[in-house]
Amino acid sequence: MSVNPAPASSHGNLDEQIAQLMQCKPLSEPEVKVLCDKAKEILMEESNVQPVKSPVTICGDIHGQFHDLAELFRIGGKCPDTNYLFMGDYVDRGYYSVETVTLLVALKVRYPQRITILRGNHESRQITQVYGFYDECLRKYGNANVWKIFTDLFDYFPLTALVESEIFCLHGGLSPSIETLDSIRSFDRVQEVPHEGPMCDLLWSDPDDRCGWGISPRGAGYTFGQDISEQFNHTNNLKLIARAHQLVMEGYNWGHEQKVVTIFSAPNYCYRCGNMASILEVDDFKGHTFIQFEPAPRRGEPDVTRRTPDYFL
Amino acid sequence: MDGGVGAEKDLKEAGAEALPVGRCGIRIKGWTIESCKRPILGSLALREWEEKLGTSHLPEMVFGESFLNLVHMESGIKIHFNAFDALKGWKQESLPPVEVPAAANWKFRSKPFQQIILDYDYTFTTPYSGSETIELNHEKPTSRDACHSPKWDDCEERIDVVALSSKEPILFYDEVILYEDELADNGISLLTVKVRVMPSCWFLLLRFWLRVDGVLMRLRDSRFYCVFSDDNDGRWPDVLRESCWREATIGSLSVLA
Repeated sequence: MSVNPAPASSHGNLDEQIAQLMQCKPLSEPEVKVLCDKAKEILMEESNVQPVKSPVTICGDIHGQFHDLAELFRIGGKCPDTNYLFMGDYVDRGYYSVETVTLLVALKVRYPQRITILRGNHESRQITQVYGFYDECLRKYGNANVWKIFTDLFDYFPLTALVESEIFCLHGGLSPSIETLDSIRSFDRVQEVPHEGPMCDLLWSDPDDRCGWGISPRGAGYTFGQDISEQFNHTNNLKLIARAHQLVMEGYNWGHEQKVVTIFSAPNYCYRCGNMASILEVDDFKGHTFIQFEPAPRRGEPDVTRRTPDYFL
Repeated sequence: MDGGVGAEKDLKEAGAEALPVGRCGIRIKGWTIESCKRPILGSLALREWEEKLGTSHLPEMVFGESFLNLVHMESGIKIHFNAFDALKGWKQESLPPVEVPAAANWKFRSKPFQQIILDYDYTFTTPYSGSETIELNHEKPTSRDACHSPKWDDCEERIDVVALSSKEPILFYDEVILYEDELADNGISLLTVKVRVMPSCWFLLLRFWLRVDGVLMRLRDSRFYCVFSDDNDGRWPDVLRESCWREATIGSLSVLA
């Protein structure tokens, strides 16, 4: 008689699903439902500032570029052999948002201690309806149920993570309403990303060369200067703010005299930018190594850079 | 065909030839037409551009090394399209920023002394309608060499849409993105140029396209058209250029719908 057959068989099922997803094949709608219910149980226990131990590999935007995510795992090491921290924006823009986000959520359920998945500004109902994930769900499932299941789950994703108490990781950046990590810990994150306020800022704001808080000419969103980063890191005993959210040609970009780093993990973004991607490895001794990578060789993926000549007028 | 030349047979019949390996383009009836598509600029190049343009804001994706060139070999006239000149135009025009709907709910939460308004046209709207020069390094110096830039004159002639609708074989085709910005997920700003070359003419469309979600759409098109002529030795080629600017608020469009 086996000691504990039930979990083994459920893992077996999940392992099969992960193997299927690794081949870029989506799960069925009922499977997604079960998976997301389990994920919700795990994610709701996590903190708004989820503590993470080193070694860990920190990753930026993926944007539905499934084959590049597979390449990321080839280069960074398979989960759970390597611990991962993803800083949001799994969906929209690329062709495989469904497969990408399902795989990451499946890995989270299978190895909850080995992978952390934060929320990006694209993990929202409103944005996904404009930038592709909603349409992709309709196309692949014939209805919006899977989109609804995932966007309901996104509300539970933690907003930030803290690696070894010294690297603060989040999708966007700082907020004028937040001075300490404790103030982040205290807010209720389970909701759609608001249009305004501290939760919105964490997912949307950008570092800037100018000091202080910049108010974007769009009238929404902040930029924060080096003085703000220095003050925040000092107040919270941090060494570094690692964030994603912005495309950078080299895949990573230091700012604010190494107080802030931007990491972007979608190579050749939107299949046409020609940019490198990168991931940040934080080792056992808290040392940092950036690994850059290029787009994965494509198999059977539509090549959007190929344009048929047309008789435009 | 990915921004490339057409069938060899068609090229031969039209007296055209593809540019040598490694370059993308065509030589036809005294013109060299060439496109080049490169990755977005890296951080260092962006810094240089910011300095040269006198700005600290550039589109998220600047395809700064991409271009489309059309050179008339006899006269040395070069019509070209590049992101740098387009952004110079943006900087000069300096439209006031367009507000997004979320702005209405936006509150200033930072301390006033720490606060700066980044007041610039984040849509990167440009009046750019191409660049022209005369390449002086020609064997035959003429009096025209004194003039560094060809001139556009007003004229009654229009682009011959009927002729362009005929299905002549396309000998060369390409589309080049010059810059693009996602407006931080509030829409899109995109400047592209596409060209098609047929046995009798070339035609191109430079398009600035802007959508600010829930606010407005803006289109600025410039079309260029040149009919090849067999006997223009020494003459400047006739190129027609038509520009068309349109813009509408989403509000006004939804009333129409």
